[in-house]
Amino acid sequence: MDFDESSAQLAVREFSVVLLSGFGNELLPLTGNHGDDPCPKPLLLIANKPMIEYVLSWIEQSGVRDVLLICPAAHRAPLSHYINSDSSASFPSLRIDLQPYEESQDLSVGTCAILRHFAARIQQDFVLLPCDFVPPPSLSLTQILNKFRTESTYDGAIATACFYESHKPEKPASSDEWGPLPTPVPIVWDERSGTLLYVDTPEDVDKNGEEIELRMSLLSKYPRARLSASLLDSHIYVCRRHVLDALHRKPRFDSIREEFIPWLCKPQYQRTRQEKYAAVLSPVTNAASQGLALRHSTLHAKPLDDRPRRPAPSFPGDEGQNEENLRSVVPSPVDGDEGEEPPASLRVGLVVHKASAGYTARANNLHAYLDLNRHFLSQATYSLPSDPENRVLIDHKAQISSDSMIGRSTRVEERASIKKSVIGKHCVIGKMAKIVGCVILDHCVIGDGAKLDGCILGANTKVGEKAELSKCVTQAGYEVGIGESFKNDKLDVSDWTAGAGSSGEEEEDDSEEDDSE
Amino acid sequence: MSPGPSLPVQPPNGPQPNGEPSSGPRSQKSMTKAERRELQERQRAAKAAKPTAAPGAPNAKQAAKSNQPTAAPKKGPDSGAAAAAKTPKDAKAATAVASEGVAGKAHGLRIFSHFGLPKPVSAAKGDIHPAVVRLALQFSNFKITGANARCIATLTAFKTVIQDYATPPNNTLSRHLMTHLSPQISHLVAARPMSVTMGNAIRQLKLEISGSDIDLPEQDAKDALCQKIDNYIRDRIIIADQVIEETAGNKIKDGDVVLTYARSSVVEKVLLGAHSEGRQFSVIIVDSRPMLEGKRLLSVLSSAGIQCTYLLLPALGSVISEVSTVFLGAHSIHSNGAVYARAGTALVAMLAKQHSVPVVVCCETYKFSEGVQLDSFTKNELAPVGDLFSSFPLTKPREALTLHKGPNLEILNPLYDLTPPTSITAVVTEVGVIPPNSISSIPLALGRLL
Repeated sequence: MDFDESSAQLAVREFSVVLLSGFGNELLPLTGNHGDDPCPKPLLLIANKPMIEYVLSWIEQSGVRDVLLICPAAHRAPLSHYINSDSSASFPSLRIDLQPYEESQDLSVGTCAILRHFAARIQQDFVLLPCDFVPPPSLSLTQILNKFRTESTYDGAIATACFYESHKPEKPASSDEWGPLPTPVPIVWDERSGTLLYVDTPEDVDKNGEEIELRMSLLSKYPRARLSASLLDSHIYVCRRHVLDALHRKPRFDSIREEFIPWLCKPQYQRTRQEKYAAVLSPVTNAASQGLALRHSTLHAKPLDDRPRRPAPSFPGDEGQNEENLRSVVPSPVDGDEGEEPPASLRVGLVVHKASAGYTARANNLHAYLDLNRHFLSQATYSLPSDPENRVLIDHKAQISSDSMIGRSTRVEERASIKKSVIGKHCVIGKMAKIVGCVILDHCVIGDGAKLDGCILGANTKVGEKAELSKCVTQAGYEVGIGESFKNDKLDVSDWTAGAGSSGEEEEDDSEEDDSE
Repeated sequence: MSPGPSLPVQPPNGPQPNGEPSSGPRSQKSMTKAERRELQERQRAAKAAKPTAAPGAPNAKQAAKSNQPTAAPKKGPDSGAAAAAKTPKDAKAATAVASEGVAGKAHGLRIFSHFGLPKPVSAAKGDIHPAVVRLALQFSNFKITGANARCIATLTAFKTVIQDYATPPNNTLSRHLMTHLSPQISHLVAARPMSVTMGNAIRQLKLEISGSDIDLPEQDAKDALCQKIDNYIRDRIIIADQVIEETAGNKIKDGDVVLTYARSSVVEKVLLGAHSEGRQFSVIIVDSRPMLEGKRLLSVLSSAGIQCTYLLLPALGSVISEVSTVFLGAHSIHSNGAVYARAGTALVAMLAKQHSVPVVVCCETYKFSEGVQLDSFTKNELAPVGDLFSSFPLTKPREALTLHKGPNLEILNPLYDLTPPTSITAVVTEVGVIPPNSISSIPLALGRLL
């Protein structure tokens, strides 16, 4: 029996991806429950594709195979359904391991705790990604991975992060009532070597809200550091495996972004921390390192450190003593070479993505979500669907502008006017409806004559006839009555079902205000 | 030297400037050949009237290319040959540019185009071991440079690959491991062309693999291979360097002024070793762009307490009269005695020879290459454009100083050049001090085929 054996499989995987998916509390009410079913954040549609699809295809392009997707226990079923369904057959080479953790919407577990919990499943260097990051076409994960690979071998760097410049839209499309825009956190970094030096934490802000305190050792190591408050954290962290050991040492930490990464930036220039954590962050392992090669490399200079054993240039007076010192400095080739390793720099690398290089954002709040949809609209042009089934659903008298996107099997009745909007699958847009700048998810029903402006409607929303919604966000399954009108509102199902009387009064108040305007 | 830019623009049949070192009639013949080329180019450009975006070079470059086969092949510094080729080029450039105008500069650089620029390392085809992926990145980003360093790094990475290797069933380690290593080697070569040292080491490794005992259990065979790799590094590089350090160190006497070019790991060890023995000498370090390796050597030597002078290559002429010995490193040494080393070495050797300064090349025997190399045009490597080497001081804005390719500017950085054996006084190897022309007798003396 001669089975055809494939060539030796490399058991070594270089990276594994840890994809974190939370509740998406900033995106409420979109991520609220639809009846009893949850609407997980990663499955929210951006330009009619689930958010997570962008990240997964980005991962696949870079050649990493293993993905550990961590989600709340409540979201496990819909996510597992998505992963195993046909639509995700576009990621054939990814092995997605879905792991739930127990969390409820009120008591949220910090990302540090989650990572500590799953540390046993991560055996190699890992990439921590958020599920809501939409990467720009000009930045590939391979670039960030390459920077990490180069630096961790050459320098002993422990992690690489990626920050991006936030994209400012020309006129703000979203309403302020939806919630505050995330303010970027000030960071200090060195441009020339691409090193992240300091990230402001909420604790630091509490301690001293007016000033940013920097260590002198930071400045003496990197005299040309830059400070910026316009860069947002993309939550992409490529880390060495040993970083998880350091995480275990810090049980107090809750959030990776806000506490752990700023802490990780400190050992590279603070000597006491370096001595304390060097053994954890960069331990001596059996793995062959390139220390000997680096010492022979012509472009590698020994780091000038301020250890006292380095002698001063010889003065004519004390020649004898200097000779002794010099003898100890010159490494003896046979004994010293094996043991001496260039000390690991414990640097945290940084890749900065400029806004001019391409649009990117994290869809973790409503403003960014709407912006991302707008961005994809500006790139697409709408043309009537080619297959006759869908074609027949769209009335020829409907006016659909070219910068809109309409999903499959959506019915658009006559005289409906759709501009600059994303409409999901299986929707029904009634006659004379006017939809401008909206994002409408799947299975919605818009009544005749409804006017929607800058709204985000969750799945299965029903908008009654002649209703007017301006800059509203509705939860999945919400029903807007006939003739109602809302402005700058987040419409929750609980408002609607729970006191019908009180919400009725609210609605009347609103409509009165709106009528007067 | 020829007054290049001040040449009158006249038809080439007129009196020719005798700028070249070669004789008059030969330059005339090459001029007319260039003229014919130019005519051809003009016709071609007129046909392809659409403007192309490729950086244009005046077709006088083709005149230079045609000059090179006709001019006496210079084994000497390629900068010398390039300078000679440039003078008729300047003459033609005036006419060529005037006649051609802006349209039709469709041709990139012809010189050195046969070994092109290093391509960025793309996503690996097939399963490349992570250690090799990282090593290729180190190579392409010029983090690990130098013949010794690259060889040691390659062998270390291969040790990891071998340890992680599992023989598939129905196969033996001695036969299959080589096919397993081949794509890894190609991945490294794609990052940067293989150095002679790497080639020799890999050839030796292949020999060891094919000679490994079939009956050994797999882990033992792998351990034996790793041990052999360690022995190779230890014997042919580390201990060889120690022997060279002692031998060459004996050539340095108190009060000597030693000159070295760029940075060689062996020469660095020699100088540090001699200093630690208590000899008093000073060092002149000659350096050149783009790599500016001499700066790192300067920091190492001066922190060890050696008195150093640092200058760039063009200033060499002003200090050469004070130098007592020149120590040079090598990338490889060929069987005709020519030394292939960092670009600029040949100039240093030539100038030193002119001033009767002994030129000592420190080179381990594993750098010996069986081939014969006559010039540095057929085999060379171009450094990538851009500020890869961080060679500008912190106080100056990097972007303003880095050269970029423009429509009229093409940047060439060949990394190696060839020093002919006539410029070298002696080669110090671990088997002794030998004159360069006897290099080919080393394998025989060592009793093996290398």
